[in-house]
Amino acid sequence: MADELVLDIKNLVVHYETEDADVHAVNGIDIAIGKKRTLGLVGETGAGKTTTALSILNLVPNPPGVIKSGEIYLEGKNVLEMTPAELEKMRGNDVAMIFQDPMTALNPVMTVGDQIGESIAIHQNLSKKEAFEKAKEMLKMVGIAESRVHDYPHQFSGGMKQRVVIAIALACSPQLLIADEPTTALDVTIQAQVLELMKQLIRDKEMSMLMITHDLGVVAEVCEDVAVMYAGRIVEKGTADDVFNHMRHPYTEGLFDSLPNLKQRGEELVPIKGLMPDPSDLPPGCAFAPRCPYASESCTKAVPELTAVDGSATHFVACSAYNNPEFKLRGSKDGR
Amino acid sequence: MTQAGDIKKQYKKRTLFQETWRRLVKNRGAMLGLAFLVLLVVAAALSPVIFDYEKDVIGQNMQDRLMGPGAAHWFGTDEYGRDLFARVIYGARYSLIIGVGSVLLGLVVGTILGSQAGFHGGVVDSIIMRGIDIFYSIPNIMTAVVIVSLLGPSTVNLMIALAFSCASSFARIVRASVMTIRDQEYVESSYAMGLPTWKIIVKHILPNCLSPIIVQITLLIGTTIISASSLSFLGIGVPAPAPEWGALLSAGRSHIRDASYMCIIPGLAIMFTVLALNLLGDGLRDALDPKLKK
Repeated sequence: MADELVLDIKNLVVHYETEDADVHAVNGIDIAIGKKRTLGLVGETGAGKTTTALSILNLVPNPPGVIKSGEIYLEGKNVLEMTPAELEKMRGNDVAMIFQDPMTALNPVMTVGDQIGESIAIHQNLSKKEAFEKAKEMLKMVGIAESRVHDYPHQFSGGMKQRVVIAIALACSPQLLIADEPTTALDVTIQAQVLELMKQLIRDKEMSMLMITHDLGVVAEVCEDVAVMYAGRIVEKGTADDVFNHMRHPYTEGLFDSLPNLKQRGEELVPIKGLMPDPSDLPPGCAFAPRCPYASESCTKAVPELTAVDGSATHFVACSAYNNPEFKLRGSKDGR
Repeated sequence: MTQAGDIKKQYKKRTLFQETWRRLVKNRGAMLGLAFLVLLVVAAALSPVIFDYEKDVIGQNMQDRLMGPGAAHWFGTDEYGRDLFARVIYGARYSLIIGVGSVLLGLVVGTILGSQAGFHGGVVDSIIMRGIDIFYSIPNIMTAVVIVSLLGPSTVNLMIALAFSCASSFARIVRASVMTIRDQEYVESSYAMGLPTWKIIVKHILPNCLSPIIVQITLLIGTTIISASSLSFLGIGVPAPAPEWGALLSAGRSHIRDASYMCIIPGLAIMFTVLALNLLGDGLRDALDPKLKK
C-alpha cells in the first residue's frame, strides 16, 4: 500500500452494551487506506461494517455503543482523542459520509440548495449566499440542472436524491469519502450511473474512499483494495485482484459461490450453510468455523491472525487451515 | 420548444406554505373560523380609534343603565350605563393579547424544554418531563391563581400564569416529535457533515415538528382565552374596570334574571372566538397532514 495513509485503523474494538447483552460488533480490525485508493469493505448484514464507518467519524451512538479500544488515524491524527470542536471541524471537511438510503438522508423541509450549502458555509466560512452559489456548482457537477437548486427533496427521484447526497458529501472536497452501501436502495440501472459518477468524481478530486457494501459486483467495479469482514473481524484483505482471483478464505469462497453464474444460468447456487453467529454470543476461535466446510477441531481453539499469503505484501488471510501448507480451497465452481 | 414552454408554465412551484393554504381554503369550517378571527382582530385593533376608552368603554352613564340591545346600543348597556358593544369589542383586545401572548411565551419555553428532553433523552428527559408532569397534575386554574396571587393581578402577570400550562403541553408535543425525528437518517448525516448540535436541533429537527406545533398553537389560544376569562370571572384576572370578557361575564352575573344579555353576549363572544380557533386548528391539522384525513 501507499506510504501516505489517509486512514489507518488499528485494532478497533466496538461493543454495544445493552442491559440484556454485550454485542461484540467490531472485534479488533485493522484497515488502512492510502491516498487516492478505494477500499471495499465487504460483508453480510450485521458484520460490523457500518459500525466501523461510524467509528471513523466518532459517531457510534453512545449509549449503547462503546469504542473499547483501538486507534483511528486520519492523516496522522487520532479521531478518538479529538475534542468535540475538532470533531465538528473534521466531520464533513476531512471525512464525509454517504448514507445508505437517499430517501431519508435528506431533510424534507429544506431545499436541496440549502442542504448542500449548509456544510460549505460551516467549513469554508462563506456567507450563505456564496455557499448557495457553490451549491449550484456542486449540483451541476453531479449532473442535476442548476435550476433545481430551489426544489425540495420530494421533487427528486431516488437516483437524483442520491446524487444530491453525493453533492453534499463532496461539497468540501474531503480527503476521505465513506460510502455506506450507497447504491443498495437504488435500482440496477441507476446504481450503475451513480457508481460511474462516484468513480469519476473521486478520480477528479483525488480522494480516497471507503466503500461499504455487500454487493461484490459493486466492489469489482469501483474498488482497488478489498477487505472481507465477518462477525466483526477482517477475514481476508488484499487488492481486488488478490481477493477476487486468488481468494484464500473459505468465507470469501462461500460469498462468491453464492453468486449466480451468468455463463451457466441453469446452475444451482451454493449458499453458505447456517446463519451468522449472534454477535452477543460469538463462538470461540474462528467465528466462521461452525459454517465452514473446511473446519477442523483446531479452528475453535484460537482466533486466527491475519497472515500474509505466500509472502505477499498486499494479500492477507485469517484462516488457521493454512498452517497446513498443503491446504487449498476446493474451488467448487469453475471459471473463478 | 413551445411544448416545453407550455409544460414549464403548467409546472407551478408551491412552497409548503402555499400548499397548506391551498388545502385550507377548501375547508369551509376553517375559512369561516379564519374570517371570524380576522374580523375580530381588525375590530380589536381598530377599537381605540372607533371608541374613546375613557368615555365609551369605562365612562359611566347612569341614565342609560341596563338598557336592552337596540338601535342605540347594539348589545345593550350594563349596570353603569356603559355600552356593551364597545366593551365587548374593546375586551377582544385583552382576550386576544392574553391568549396569543401566553401561548407564545409558553411556546418558547415549552419548545426549549421539550426539544432538550426529546433530543438528549435519559436523565435530562426524566428531570424535565417529571417536572412537567407535576405541573400537569395540578389544575391549570390553581397554578394560575397561585402565580397571580404571588405576582399581583395585572395583564402581564396573567399571561405569565397562563403560559405555564401552555409550556407544559408544548413541551410534551415537541418532545414526542423530536424523539421521532431525532433518529432520522438526515439528522445522522448532519452530524456526519460536522454541524453543531444546536444547529441540528434548530435547523433540521424543529422545522420538521412544525405541523403539530402550529395546530397546537391555534387550539391552545382558545383554551387560554377561556382560562383567562375564568380567572377574570373569579376576580383575579385583568383588574377592573378593563372590559375583559370574563370580567364582563362576572359583572353580568348579578343581573342574570333581569338583564340576561349581559351574560349571554360576552359568553357568546368567548364561545365564537374559541369555536373559530378550533375550526381553524382542525382545518390546519388536515391541511398540514393530508394523510391524517379520513
